[in-house]
Amino acid sequence: MGLRKFSLVNFLKKNFNFITGILSEIGLTLLIIAVAMFICLLLVFIKSAP
Amino acid sequence: MIPAVTREDLKIIGYNLGKICYVTGAVLFLPIIVAVIYSEFDTIPYFLIGSAIAFILGCLISHFLYTKKEMELKHAVCMAALAWLLAPILASVPILLSNATASGLDACFESVSGFTGTGLTLTLDIDHLSHSINFLRHFLQFFGDGIGIIVVSLSILGKTEMSSVLAFKGETKDMGMRPSIVRTSRMIIKIAVTFLIIGTILFTVAGIKAGLDPGTAVFDGLNHSMTGYATGGFSTHSQNLLYYHSVWVEVAAIVVMVIGAINFNLHYVVLGGRRREILKNIEVRVLLFMLLTFGLLVSANLLFTNFYTSGEALFRKCVFHVISAQTTTGFQTVSPSHFMLLWPVFSMVLLSAAMVIGGSANSTSGGIKMLRVGVLLKSFWGDVKRALLPKTAVVRGSFHNIEDTPLTDTVIKGAAMITISYLILFSVGTAITAAHGYGLEDSMFETSSALGNVGLSCGITSPSMPAMLKVTYMFLMWAGKLEIMAVFVLFGFVILCLRKGIKK
Repeated sequence: MGLRKFSLVNFLKKNFNFITGILSEIGLTLLIIAVAMFICLLLVFIKSAP
Repeated sequence: MIPAVTREDLKIIGYNLGKICYVTGAVLFLPIIVAVIYSEFDTIPYFLIGSAIAFILGCLISHFLYTKKEMELKHAVCMAALAWLLAPILASVPILLSNATASGLDACFESVSGFTGTGLTLTLDIDHLSHSINFLRHFLQFFGDGIGIIVVSLSILGKTEMSSVLAFKGETKDMGMRPSIVRTSRMIIKIAVTFLIIGTILFTVAGIKAGLDPGTAVFDGLNHSMTGYATGGFSTHSQNLLYYHSVWVEVAAIVVMVIGAINFNLHYVVLGGRRREILKNIEVRVLLFMLLTFGLLVSANLLFTNFYTSGEALFRKCVFHVISAQTTTGFQTVSPSHFMLLWPVFSMVLLSAAMVIGGSANSTSGGIKMLRVGVLLKSFWGDVKRALLPKTAVVRGSFHNIEDTPLTDTVIKGAAMITISYLILFSVGTAITAAHGYGLEDSMFETSSALGNVGLSCGITSPSMPAMLKVTYMFLMWAGKLEIMAVFVLFGFVILCLRKGIKK
């Protein structure tokens, strides 16, 4: 009927760069969150140290 | 000598403004779908009237100012400056008719704040606002700032590629990398829609975890994703993100805000396969440095003054606001009065500095931009090196923004000029606010929020604030969005008309 069969593997292959690019950007934000969280905990630790 | 303004110049600017009217009319039509979904039929006439006014004005302008001539850079810059005034005025009609604001001036303020991606609000009762009007506020930010109304208008309705390319420059989104303007527009829309979907999913899941019913979570998620990506900061609740009291909503907001503050060109190359570019880029490095420095200083200040005592509180209140300020989004998790009455002056000044610096160039964020700050820091470091090295040594500077670029005097001069213009406007805005009886740090905070298109508020922005301040902040939002230079070009154009007259 003119409709092509959807293949997840083909879709992922075709959009590999786009998907990994998005994951890289989300990874950057998660890195910022992790480092920021670490700094906050470190500050609390420094303050509470005798 | 600068040539006098001709009638043809005015026609070219006017004719292209007509296209902006058409697209604004189409934008005002979209909330009708939301009104039908939520059975808010009483609001439909407001959108129809607003849309009709925009279309009729567009038709009249296009008819009476029709011209076949091409735009030049001066036309594009003036057109962009006027478009960022005309579109908000047209979009304020439904807001005014729905009585969402107390006056016409407030409706204009809301609309300017929306289109410029600022997020300062004068809406009276956001929590009980109709879904359709609320959607319009958020969509204005996504379409106006997130995608760029001028670029889309001229890409769709422009006669030639040239007019669109110039519009990019006029709107301060210089995207010289793509082979064609249609591909560039498509890419901008593709990136925006992709992150809109991701943001909506993140906010919806976080909203459900925070206890919202799925319907409300999707509606709030969509709206916050639109304003988060556009680094706008409007919210569906008067308390902004504080309403949820949820760390998951705040994490979702941080992801969307940071992505929104990234340069479109960088999105383009990273999504095209050059993933390592993300850590090599000068703007990302400056962003990381600024976020960690400001985050550390604000957290330390509030921890050692015993304002917040746990690591979680520091992250959710201090780091969150540093990210919100630096990305120029304006999502807030403390009430405005907290900033004004309780936060130490040191933290307020640091947040103001973060708002003035802002996000990446060619992104949805405002402020001086990190690229310029990076260029000035590199130039400063070059001068220090020059002073320390022997006279015969040659110091060649460069910076990496997608590709290695030499640090020339022209680049440094351009960055310095915009920075100085920002600081002058910041000083004037602070002085005007302080003259109305507000404290210096509060005045700095609110002015930097308006000028940097941020939207964080310490409570000065409210329906009861003096009309003079409302107009001042509208001007600052407009000038900040246009990165000031376009405003000066428009003023120069007007002065030229007045001094030399309009020639045939």
